[in-house]
Amino acid sequence: MNREALALEMRGLREQVTGITDTAVAAADGLLIASDTAESIDPEGLAALAAAGLGLARRTTEATARGVLRQTVAYGSHGCAAFYAVGDTALMVVLGDEGLDLERLHRATRPALDRIGSILTEKTTEGV
Amino acid sequence: MADVRDALGRVGYDRLAHALMACGHAEFTGELRVSGRPGGAFHLRDGLVVAAESPGAPGPDVLLLRTDRIDAERWAELVRESDGARWPAAELVARGYAGAAQLRVVCVMALQDAAFAIVAGRVDGCERVAGTEPHAPVAVGEPPARLVQDAARKLAALATLPYPVRPDRERPLPGAPTGRPLTELQQELLAHADGRRTARDLAFRVGRGVYTVTVEVARMLAEGFLECAPTPAEIPVRLPPEVGAVRHREPPPEPPPAPTVLPRREPGASGITEALAPSKHGTSWRGFFRLRHQAAE
Repeated sequence: MNREALALEMRGLREQVTGITDTAVAAADGLLIASDTAESIDPEGLAALAAAGLGLARRTTEATARGVLRQTVAYGSHGCAAFYAVGDTALMVVLGDEGLDLERLHRATRPALDRIGSILTEKTTEGV
Repeated sequence: MADVRDALGRVGYDRLAHALMACGHAEFTGELRVSGRPGGAFHLRDGLVVAAESPGAPGPDVLLLRTDRIDAERWAELVRESDGARWPAAELVARGYAGAAQLRVVCVMALQDAAFAIVAGRVDGCERVAGTEPHAPVAVGEPPARLVQDAARKLAALATLPYPVRPDRERPLPGAPTGRPLTELQQELLAHADGRRTARDLAFRVGRGVYTVTVEVARMLAEGFLECAPTPAEIPVRLPPEVGAVRHREPPPEPPPAPTVLPRREPGASGITEALAPSKHGTSWRGFFRLRHQAAE
């Protein structure tokens, strides 16, 4: 896995979409892979919560025949947390403040998710 | 303006100014959507701008909620009471959370601040959209020309400061303690500056206008209260132990082949007949009866 490429994707997303405050990428079982989060946020806990939430959402879409799960969003009075499935082996969390335009976030995230998916699944060549 | 922007930024600004002023001349009613970064939207009524919103500037609801003038639960209650309106102005006044004049001022400030954020950013294009309604319009609209010129003047003023800052560029950190007294806003900004937040992010965090916060951040950088790291912090990329990367699981081992015919049982295969066979030297039931018969005789 190319760590630099993953870090670049995460930082690029934060710089591309106004209002993103934190991002994290984790395996589907909740093990943290990479985090770009503020001190006040525990990235390991965030990854575990995201895995649990996405697992439940995936089961719900399956049980109700809604097709393939794309994302879930939790809305709070001070911002939102968006959870995206990266294939069926990983996930990405994006936290944003009140100014975050979710439509724009979803548009920007889709191609980024494809690239992050290929970065994560590519074969290890450098022993990382 | 020429010294503040590069050629591309200048083209974007001209496009926005032209589109907005054309809306004014046409006495347009509707929305002028601005794509770019942060981009945003102007809402016009008969050619006057009555509201503006942008991801780059806190809206009036953020200005109220983030400054603890009203808490989130009470806000949600008011929104419910006003049938889901995003800006429950009448309820805010009726319940005494704010005066009507105060709310008008907040809306005007948010409008001008959004215009500043859009002008200070990158403008890719403008598009007129009809049939949308702003959620917090002001009663008396602003002429588009004055609004854009005001925003451009603010941007030019920022560029003349000793440490010029853009709302979405610098990500300051607290500097070495100076021992000099700080204003309330400066203390708040110092508390939230973590090397990750831009002036725009700080404005949302403290619930103040993005122009006000950008000017304050520029002053604090010039005075040494804040400083900018030369390069952004590295994103720590961790890998799960033992696993080099997330990958599809290896296919599980093949299960043993299921038997197609039942095994044939062969007599004596289990050895049970030998175990139950009478031993050659031991007494059998026949011997027992014989012994008994002899005793009776």
